[in-house]
Amino acid sequence: MAEVTMTVNGERRTAHVAPETTLLRMLRDELQLTGSKLGCDVGDCGACTVMVDGKSVNSCLMLAVQADGREVLTIEGLATKEQLHPLQQLFEEKGSLQCGFCGPGVLMSAKALLDENPDPTEPEIRDALAGNLCRCTGYTKMIEAIQAVAQLRHERPAAKSVA
Amino acid sequence: MRAFEVFSAKDSQHAVALLAQHAATSKVKVLAGGTDLLADLKFAPSSHAPAVVVDISRVDDFRGIRKTKEGLSIGSLVTHTEIMNSPIIRDLFPALVDAAHTIGAVQTRNLGTLGGNLVTAVPSVDSGPTLVALDAVVTILGSGGKRHMPLAEFFVGPRKTALKSDELLAEIIIPTENLGKPTHFLKFGLRKGQALALVNVASSIWVDWEKTTFKAARVALGAVAPKVIHATSAESFLEGRPITREAMEEAGKLAAGDARPISDMRASAEYRKDLIAVLTRRTLEGAYALAQAKRTEK
Amino acid sequence: MVEKKPAVIEKEAQKDALELLRAPAPAPLVPLPIEVLVPEARQQTPAVRQRATRSDARTHGLGQTKYIDDMYLPGMLFAKIKRAGVASARIVSVDTKEAEAMPGVVAVITGRDIPCNTFGPSLKDQPVLADERVFHAGDGVAAVAAVTEQIATEALEKIHVEYEPIEPVLDPLASLKLETPGLHAPSPNIYGHKVIKKGDVAKAFAESYRVFEGSFRTQMVEHVPLEPHSSLATWDPNGRVTIYSTLGRITLGRADISRTLGVPMSRVRIIATIVGGNFGGKNEITTEPVVALLSKKTGRPVKCTFTRPEEFMSSTTRHPLIMDYKTGVTKEGRILGRQIRLVLDGGAYCSWSETTLGKACILSAGPYKIDNLYAEAFVVYTNKTMTGAMRGFGAPQVCFAYESQMDDMAKALGIDPLEMRLMNALEEGSLSPTSQKLHSVVVKESLLQAAERFGWKNGNGSANGSANGSRT
Repeated sequence: MAEVTMTVNGERRTAHVAPETTLLRMLRDELQLTGSKLGCDVGDCGACTVMVDGKSVNSCLMLAVQADGREVLTIEGLATKEQLHPLQQLFEEKGSLQCGFCGPGVLMSAKALLDENPDPTEPEIRDALAGNLCRCTGYTKMIEAIQAVAQLRHERPAAKSVA
Repeated sequence: MRAFEVFSAKDSQHAVALLAQHAATSKVKVLAGGTDLLADLKFAPSSHAPAVVVDISRVDDFRGIRKTKEGLSIGSLVTHTEIMNSPIIRDLFPALVDAAHTIGAVQTRNLGTLGGNLVTAVPSVDSGPTLVALDAVVTILGSGGKRHMPLAEFFVGPRKTALKSDELLAEIIIPTENLGKPTHFLKFGLRKGQALALVNVASSIWVDWEKTTFKAARVALGAVAPKVIHATSAESFLEGRPITREAMEEAGKLAAGDARPISDMRASAEYRKDLIAVLTRRTLEGAYALAQAKRTEK
Repeated sequence: MVEKKPAVIEKEAQKDALELLRAPAPAPLVPLPIEVLVPEARQQTPAVRQRATRSDARTHGLGQTKYIDDMYLPGMLFAKIKRAGVASARIVSVDTKEAEAMPGVVAVITGRDIPCNTFGPSLKDQPVLADERVFHAGDGVAAVAAVTEQIATEALEKIHVEYEPIEPVLDPLASLKLETPGLHAPSPNIYGHKVIKKGDVAKAFAESYRVFEGSFRTQMVEHVPLEPHSSLATWDPNGRVTIYSTLGRITLGRADISRTLGVPMSRVRIIATIVGGNFGGKNEITTEPVVALLSKKTGRPVKCTFTRPEEFMSSTTRHPLIMDYKTGVTKEGRILGRQIRLVLDGGAYCSWSETTLGKACILSAGPYKIDNLYAEAFVVYTNKTMTGAMRGFGAPQVCFAYESQMDDMAKALGIDPLEMRLMNALEEGSLSPTSQKLHSVVVKESLLQAAERFGWKNGNGSANGSANGSRT
């Protein structure tokens, strides 16, 4: 068993896991953070996407021990008690999700994109979402929502973003 | 995934020592970015499963992109995202940026390493052709010390490299004489992202501006033979040849002849040969366009 | 206090009864004019075109939606199913001793443990776990419940199954030939057949300017819902089982659980929650009877979630179709008659093939006025992945065929493909292939609007057109 400590959504968390445990399994089974999903377990579908040290990764392709000492952000860490993250707000308004299973992964990839590129073009958005499969929606409204968030920040650059 | 023990290496010496220690008694696998290894192990039968995994993801001396007296050194743990964002690589080798961009998706590129991509050594290895076209050399670190070999020889066959059981790929060096050599890479997959290459082509050329002829042209092909290969007939043909579209088209046809593609569920061998001809011409055009742009810059 | 006047009361009552008997019979039923019952075309309800936020959008965006695999009950065990990995075989023996002895393994079941080992939405030809015969590589042959998923998966390798391979039939046309020994003998290979006959096709062909023949094929498609199939079963002290499941058709599922487990329906409770994509693939039971039995055997809740490879191998897919079309037309391009043969690759088990067969057959003529039609459809067994319901139930496949042929014919006749469709399209009051009178028909309007939208007149979308115009 390995002792793993990491900061998850701003909180220091420790777990004892078998060495072969992936970060995804640790989040879901040990920390009860079931927002990140297991869609394929081999890094193809992106439903497990989380951010580690500011970069979006497939948590199913990372061992929990590799995330030891790192900062992890999951879907559960996007909103605060006071408000939704603008991406969550716009996804809701635009109707970007249907069954919702791919949602957390897409939102994390979208956040990772906007963190690096606050004003992405449509091809750049598509490229950023290439690792997140969705079988329900066709992605159109996700792209619209991301563009709307970028537009929001563009219009009010001084507005404090949630995360 | 089946149970295994994990030993995390602190530095390169430690990594080599761990490998040497465990490879003697157990089935050992090396873990860097995990995008190939862990994906492989998820549904692997017990016969395939390692007992020990040596995690080298924190070995900092395998990181970094810098100019050395040998040329441009890229650490084996440099991720594909880091390659895409590196100012040196963007300046000297936009083709490497292009190649990195064709790998997987953002999430895979953030974790996946150049070294891992090369060591997995599938015939369609995306980062292979560009580096082979640039005559890249690899540095291997083992319990016996360091050794070097051309990347083209490092690839032995499908999923097989020249690494011994106690060795690690440490760095990839593009030799000084090739720094800034105009190179273009194209991948053809059935999708724009997260796709295996049907065909990969990289063309790298110098231009003799006095005569406007090809100089030291290199054309490397991927996914059309057991490993990355040089299109030697195309390369011989191009040497000293005036740079024209006809010459590029002819080189394409010759390159198709050099390849030994297979027919599989993705495409027929015939289709792959067609692709090689077209992509060779296009990458030669791209390399030449780059050469012209660099010339006008000066 | 009621005054007792029994004689008077009785007489009154009798009088009422006699009155009733003497009441005139109700007037004979006059058939209501059908036209009155048919709503006016394009009558909209007030809700149409109103914006609304989905009720689940909030929890989806927060990552709080609980899907079946997000559920954990105290003491829960994890189940995995061993897959045959061979397309066609007789099962000689199944040895589970080594798996049962593994630390952490709590129970193992095989096909023999299933009280009633056949089920299906129409034909009951599907086993819960294959018992004597394997009909496709994705057939389950045993299942394990263990304290972790990892142990359950490892235990599968320790179950030793001896197979006697039987030559598989993979080509539906081979299966169609009646000489092939029935895969599900004594049932024939052709397990569904439908014919639609209208008018006189031979006469129509004789009168045609030209008769076109074309053969079209579509491939097997997997739904790939992002959420794999999953179910979780738990029994209560009163002998009732509760199954949380990704299953869509829970009433059908309840009947199937009752049947396979030999338990009255009143003791079966199925709870479906938000599902992560269905598209038809979660229309019948998969893991549910397995987890129910394992839960009964172990006395603990048991959850089973498909792996992604199982989604491809062991869940239903869209039927591949082989479609032969023969169409007779006038010189102007009007369709006089059409003859169709469809062969549906019906996979290892029937599943929703009968519905698919029916729909494919009825829709195979296309949305066109065809007075002379002969459409014959067969569905056959093969030793491949089960084919079942998937968005369209046969409609997408035949659409590919008749629209492809339409383009081929238009090209050969030198007619604009759009004009040819408008010429033949169904209209208000047209008869369907099964002679049903159709209303609210907007085929022509849709075609014209679409053509307008993507600039058909400017050559966009046609075979000779440029790649200009807006792209989605």
